[in-house]
Amino acid sequence: MSPIGKHDYDLVVIGGGSGGLACSKEAAQLGQKVAVLDYVEPSAKGTKWGLGGTCVNVGCIPKKLMHQAALLGTAVKDAQKYGWQISGTVSHDWSTMAEAVQNYVKSLNWGHRVQLQDKKVTYLNLKGTLVDKHTIRGLSKAGKETILTAKNIVLATGGRPKYPSNVPGAVEHGITSDDIFWLKKSPGKTLVVGASYVALECAGFLTGIGLNTTVMVRSIALRGFDQQMAGLVTDYMESYGTRFEWKSVPTRVERLSSGALKVTWTNTQTGCEHSDTFDSVLWAVGRSPETKALGLDKVGVQISKETGKVIVGADESSSVPNIYAFGDIGEGRPELTPTAIKAGRLLAHRLAGRSSELMNYDNVATTVFTPLEYGCVGLSEVEAERRHGKDGIEVYHAFYKPLEFTVSQRDSSQCYIKVICEREGNQKILGLHFLGPNAGEVLQGFSLALQCGATYPQLTRTVGIHPTSAEELMKVNITKRSGLDPTVTGC
Amino acid sequence: MVLYEEVNVHGYDEFCQAVSDRKGKEIFAYFSGNKDDKGKSWCPDCVKAEPIVRGEMSHLPEGSVFIYCQVGERAYWKDPNNEFKKTLKLSGVPTLLRYGTPQKLVEEECFKADLVKMLFTED
Repeated sequence: MSPIGKHDYDLVVIGGGSGGLACSKEAAQLGQKVAVLDYVEPSAKGTKWGLGGTCVNVGCIPKKLMHQAALLGTAVKDAQKYGWQISGTVSHDWSTMAEAVQNYVKSLNWGHRVQLQDKKVTYLNLKGTLVDKHTIRGLSKAGKETILTAKNIVLATGGRPKYPSNVPGAVEHGITSDDIFWLKKSPGKTLVVGASYVALECAGFLTGIGLNTTVMVRSIALRGFDQQMAGLVTDYMESYGTRFEWKSVPTRVERLSSGALKVTWTNTQTGCEHSDTFDSVLWAVGRSPETKALGLDKVGVQISKETGKVIVGADESSSVPNIYAFGDIGEGRPELTPTAIKAGRLLAHRLAGRSSELMNYDNVATTVFTPLEYGCVGLSEVEAERRHGKDGIEVYHAFYKPLEFTVSQRDSSQCYIKVICEREGNQKILGLHFLGPNAGEVLQGFSLALQCGATYPQLTRTVGIHPTSAEELMKVNITKRSGLDPTVTGC
Repeated sequence: MVLYEEVNVHGYDEFCQAVSDRKGKEIFAYFSGNKDDKGKSWCPDCVKAEPIVRGEMSHLPEGSVFIYCQVGERAYWKDPNNEFKKTLKLSGVPTLLRYGTPQKLVEEECFKADLVKMLFTED
């Protein structure tokens, strides 16, 4: 135990991901003596990666790049309608894409390393565990132990993909999002089990690069998101070429002598058993927080029995006064990089005694990068109804056609916008949903509008930029209540 | 006893030859603007960085190679299509890098001894 008042560090952060790095760098800049511990336990398949956490290595970054690869494939097909002469068939080489993506990720690992060094944050490639509320044990890959003491401890260890617990062969033969971005060879014909955004985004880009892809959904897609929008997302994916096995659960995975994987599943609606062979099985059935090996029970940090996440206050504090937790391991927090970064920086300011500002987790915009992208900010329709009553809200909506789809003769049946407003008072916008190309880019500005309390009259008074898909948001005027056809016609 | 091999090259072709002659070895490369016959480079940052880089060379791993590469005259370097910029994707001089990895230090980063040491010693 360290002498009272004298710790090795003012702050030790366990976890070098989006949140951990932002918090530690900010704290160091504010004059604190900081160390960050980052350690990647290899996946069941043996995949490992460098500094930066999930987003940089096995999440947002490689995902968006592979999504882009898929979109480019569609663009090449469209290009011919626009006059481009492309001789022969266009095919995709997984290794070329994977190598480029992996090299970029490695440059980010290095970039983070340089930044930590530059900002005088001590970086330790050790697996951290709590010994007591001021002491951390760090274990190296070789098993060597280091003890550190800290005035404050921040837990930002994030999460890892779950494997199903009741499917024989799942672990031996399946992969997860931890592995897909690091494969050197194409995954080939793939079964994606799950219907979260991870499952749909992966299935989306795999389909887009030309692989035979099936999504197996137990119950609903995009749980937690507006379900009308989720339906349109999967409708588009089905028309785009992704196969779906609805209301189905896998029962076993076996490897055949050919090397292929045979998956057996049950359709829970019909009760019938089916099977098919695949080259790869990607489990995207949820993520669990990295809290089991932290020694939390020893120190008295309370976790949720249901989720395993750390129970935190509005200031990210845990049940132990000098121990904080944020990012994906915080109970009730969004599992997003920008919220982790911002929360981490604000936490650093509070710990350095510079401010008391708390993180605002409301109205955080997000985008699902499926082949047709879905961006949203604010409430879903069902949540808005729950809070304000069906009569308390007005839902404006429109089916529109992006101009770029016309010449390329692409189907725009799922390009859709929904603006949910309070019916009375100043008609404040409660939620905004956009399904279409570049949804993330379209939506960012609107999240500022929601932050400022934008109202429906303000929306309609704002002149659109023409010709864009985003302008359709300013022009939305047909209500669901009217029952009129919401298809946009002409200019 | 010196643990690493130092190689001096001029220009892109010589650099590539030095690399291909040493397959399988860990290679570090330092790119600098050409030195004149008095040993002074036209690149002021290179002049400043060199003693700092040399100061950390005792940390180079055993069996590694350190290639000191003079890229060319100022006019050659300024051409955006020179081979170093086009093929090796160098953006400035001095550049210190671990060949075959994205690990590199560019310009003012080379003035920081701790970053140079980090490049030489960390995985």
